[in-house]
Amino acid sequence: MKHKSPIRRLAILLFIGALLIAASGRVDQLRAYQGAQVAIFAIAISAIVLLTGYSGQISLGHGALMAVGGYAAVLSRTHWNIPYPLSFIIGSAVAGVFGFLLGIAAARLKGPYLAGTTLALAVGLPSLANQFHVLGGEQGLTFDAGNVPSWLGSDFSQYRWFFVVTVIAAIAVFWLLRNLLSTRYGRRWRAIRSNPTAAALAGINVGRAKVLAFTLSSTVAGLAGSLFAMLLGLVAPLAFTLTLSFTLVTGAVLAGVSNLGGSIVGAVVLVSIPELSNAAASHFGGSDKVTANLPGVITSVLLIATVLFIPNGPKMPKLSRQ
Amino acid sequence: MFVQRRTKGGIFAAAVVAAAALVASALPAHAETGVTSSTIKLGVTLPLTGAAAPGYNKIPAAMKAYFDYVNANGGVNGRQIKLVVKDDAYSPSQTLSVTNDLILKDKVFALVGTLGTANNEATTRLVNSQGVPRLFVNTGFSGFADMKKYPTTFPLFPSYATEAKIMGKYLSDNFAGHKVALIYQDDDFGMDALKGFSTAGTTFVAKIPYAALSQADPSVIGKWVTSIVASGADTVVMFGVTSATGALAGGLYKAGLIGKVQLILGSVGSDGTTLKGLLGPLAPALAGSIAASFLPSPSDATDEYITQFKAINTQYNAGATFDNNVLVGMNTAMMTVQALRAAGMSPTRASLIKAIETKGSTWASAAFSPLLYSAKSHVGYTGYWFGKLGLDGNAVSVDGPGKYTLYTTDSGSGAVVKAAAARPAMPAKGLPKN
Repeated sequence: MKHKSPIRRLAILLFIGALLIAASGRVDQLRAYQGAQVAIFAIAISAIVLLTGYSGQISLGHGALMAVGGYAAVLSRTHWNIPYPLSFIIGSAVAGVFGFLLGIAAARLKGPYLAGTTLALAVGLPSLANQFHVLGGEQGLTFDAGNVPSWLGSDFSQYRWFFVVTVIAAIAVFWLLRNLLSTRYGRRWRAIRSNPTAAALAGINVGRAKVLAFTLSSTVAGLAGSLFAMLLGLVAPLAFTLTLSFTLVTGAVLAGVSNLGGSIVGAVVLVSIPELSNAAASHFGGSDKVTANLPGVITSVLLIATVLFIPNGPKMPKLSRQ
Repeated sequence: MFVQRRTKGGIFAAAVVAAAALVASALPAHAETGVTSSTIKLGVTLPLTGAAAPGYNKIPAAMKAYFDYVNANGGVNGRQIKLVVKDDAYSPSQTLSVTNDLILKDKVFALVGTLGTANNEATTRLVNSQGVPRLFVNTGFSGFADMKKYPTTFPLFPSYATEAKIMGKYLSDNFAGHKVALIYQDDDFGMDALKGFSTAGTTFVAKIPYAALSQADPSVIGKWVTSIVASGADTVVMFGVTSATGALAGGLYKAGLIGKVQLILGSVGSDGTTLKGLLGPLAPALAGSIAASFLPSPSDATDEYITQFKAINTQYNAGATFDNNVLVGMNTAMMTVQALRAAGMSPTRASLIKAIETKGSTWASAAFSPLLYSAKSHVGYTGYWFGKLGLDGNAVSVDGPGKYTLYTTDSGSGAVVKAAAARPAMPAKGLPKN
């Protein structure tokens, strides 16, 4: 397939972004909020796609990496009083450093051992907040994203503003990752995923490439975590549970794991499941217990069905390139 | 000509009247969000699925049962109360998502009994920006009484700091000269408690922190028992959740210490029904323990609130076992009905908040504690009574059945005051007429 130039890709993404931002003025606040959720999930899922789909490493702990980014963003904003876009960069950077250290260990582990290590991280890390007073304990720390910039007018809702911020972040991430994956780094990662031994024989430093992938993936997850903190208005251990990590992996599987464009599909599906299950429950009736458990059931069924029938995820001809 | 002009004028006048009527019918006297001529819509978020769900998942059905009972008896000023229940699985991000639904899509009038500290914190920005009243939040975090940060929020339960201060006073009154050890959860819950004990000037021979959820690890329980024995304590204060109390009872039983140390339990860790479920045949080992509570014991058949709520529970809650969670749900619902009644014939969000601030402190509620609502304070309950657990796991007042001594104080440095408990009588048939 023909390569698109980075400039052309940027133009396409900016056009889509401009369309989305313009469209956000025509929907209610609830949709704007869900749009922001989709953008954040898409970023977080793309971090897993980069790690698993390209470098072949498994992570069940990306929720914890989001927590690192989120807490770093909140702490830097609160203690240094910096503008919040800057706190996103700090959140990403801290998560990146954390991911680098983790990546050194991860590069020595394979398959279930790596899955186990990252799982332990997802379980253990968020509860650290209860051990150190500076991390705010169980009720967490609030993130003050301030008001909507006044030049946008008083009609511009806060959720619409968050949507704009998250869409811009998502465009930046997708553009950078897309370009990176078509460089030699992307080719090295794919070579490692296909056959680490052959890649090593071909002169690729497998360990270094894996650590780089882990660092980058963590940085992206950290950005998602920072944006998540902005949307929620706080960070707390309960916001970054094991469920979040599993949800992200589910999203990545639905996205087709090795398909960057698919992360958007995965994110849309994750955000719309509660909505769909609500509609189904109110249409067919049923007790509160059924309604409450329906989203979990739908997610699990979708996950199993995807693995069984379309293991490479839904095809996105325009955006995906194997 | 003249006739024609008159006709034109008539048509014009008719058109003006018709237009005015159309406008008037389209704007029915500025109805408040969530309120129609026949209904009031309320919302609640709490965990119905996940690890935190057992127990709490009984609360919404109990609230609905009480609202159904009130609806069957004419509703509130002729309006039927509708409660929209949303599951948040105890995750703040889900709480925000479903609260968005409640406020922006379902368009509820107010939130009622929303559960969890971080969960309520996550929705604060939304709640404040939309001016949605958030009544009787289900958490002991004292911060929610801050009217500047949470202008539309009303806590109900007393704070953990209040509880620890009151326990400290009880210890110095009744256990002077005893060697007291403290076990506490090493997070905000426990930190609030340590603050309260230090204000009360309580000294412990051992302070034993444990990480939340580590009570499931037998080696942790072993350490508690070793520390208790090493400190020579004859009295142990347990300031943790109910599963930690259960684990401690098991540990003391194994070490043969039952009957040799006096247990004193916090209100969070002494739910009789849950303890019975956790301990099974071992449950009587906790008999004689002293427990702090603000609500009456759900098993107290002499209490007028309990008997009335039980009757409503039997009729409207499909045979759910009457326990502390059902009691909390019904009590919250009854407070809500009084707030809605006091908000007037055409309730608005502003009139609802004003009603609680001006009249809330006088309303009927099951707890043996005054309510401190006023234009200057959003603090709810402030007091506790002490009971002894019987062989059946239920607490009976230390002063004898039906006699309650109440200890009240604030979350700060105020003194602890001891007084005979007094509360408004249960309204006839459990239907408020305020």
